[in-house]
Amino acid sequence: MTDVRYGFIVVEKCYHCNDERSYFAAEHVPPKEEYREGEHFWDYMGSSQSVQFNLKCGECGAVVELGELLGLMTCAGCTDECDLNVLSRICESQRIWVYAALTYNPDEQMKAHMAEKLAVLSQYFNDRIRTEGKKILVVPGWLVHDVDMCHGSVLRDVGMFEVEPEPQTT
Amino acid sequence: MRLAELKDKLSLKSLNDVYDKDVEGAFVSDMVSDVMAGAKPASVWVTTQTHKNVVAAANLVDIAAVIVTRGRPVSDETLEMASRAELTILTTDLDTYSLVGKLHAAGV
Repeated sequence: MTDVRYGFIVVEKCYHCNDERSYFAAEHVPPKEEYREGEHFWDYMGSSQSVQFNLKCGECGAVVELGELLGLMTCAGCTDECDLNVLSRICESQRIWVYAALTYNPDEQMKAHMAEKLAVLSQYFNDRIRTEGKKILVVPGWLVHDVDMCHGSVLRDVGMFEVEPEPQTT
Repeated sequence: MRLAELKDKLSLKSLNDVYDKDVEGAFVSDMVSDVMAGAKPASVWVTTQTHKNVVAAANLVDIAAVIVTRGRPVSDETLEMASRAELTILTTDLDTYSLVGKLHAAGV
């Protein structure tokens, strides 16, 4: 793992057309300013701390850039219509843990590239596993049937602000 | 050191089954992004966080066990997910600083 960048997954919404989208901001604080982009007026909806990174081959030095990767998600088993759910259940019985890679809205060219990159990412995690018989499979996020209805859990830092100090006693 | 031995040495309480594994180190963080980027496999992860993402991140990097400090409660949902992933969740009333001292003294 190389070029590790800490930042935020920012969710924003256009109050003109009601579209929602997410992006990764490698900044110390999440950008909350409203801004205009063409016909869209993007408004900050929320954010959570996350990380982006690239992968570098330890032998040849080749770098696989994963800047499109917004985060990894595990399936919550919402519906049998979802390919991610079906795949996750089949794999879990064989001790293969499926993580869906969430990316920016992919076009066909990006989908083809991502498939190769995610194979490398799966291999990266699998090469490090010590538990016998266990495997990790990173699959494209577009296997999710309906992103808006998905209850999958994205690996991000939630609850950071709920950790309160214990009350002081004197 | 094996996980079961470490659990006994440090008087840790298990909240699910103990999936005994080799422990080769420790990683301390309350951020799943930190764990994804920096934790080594076969480490115990010391944290105060108890949400489901902890299990997903620990499973991804093959953490040996999660140790929740300050006796924070862990939801049944998190424990169920941990058991499916054969990930032991341990807890202690100690704060993180004190536990890490004991881990170090125990040779981790």
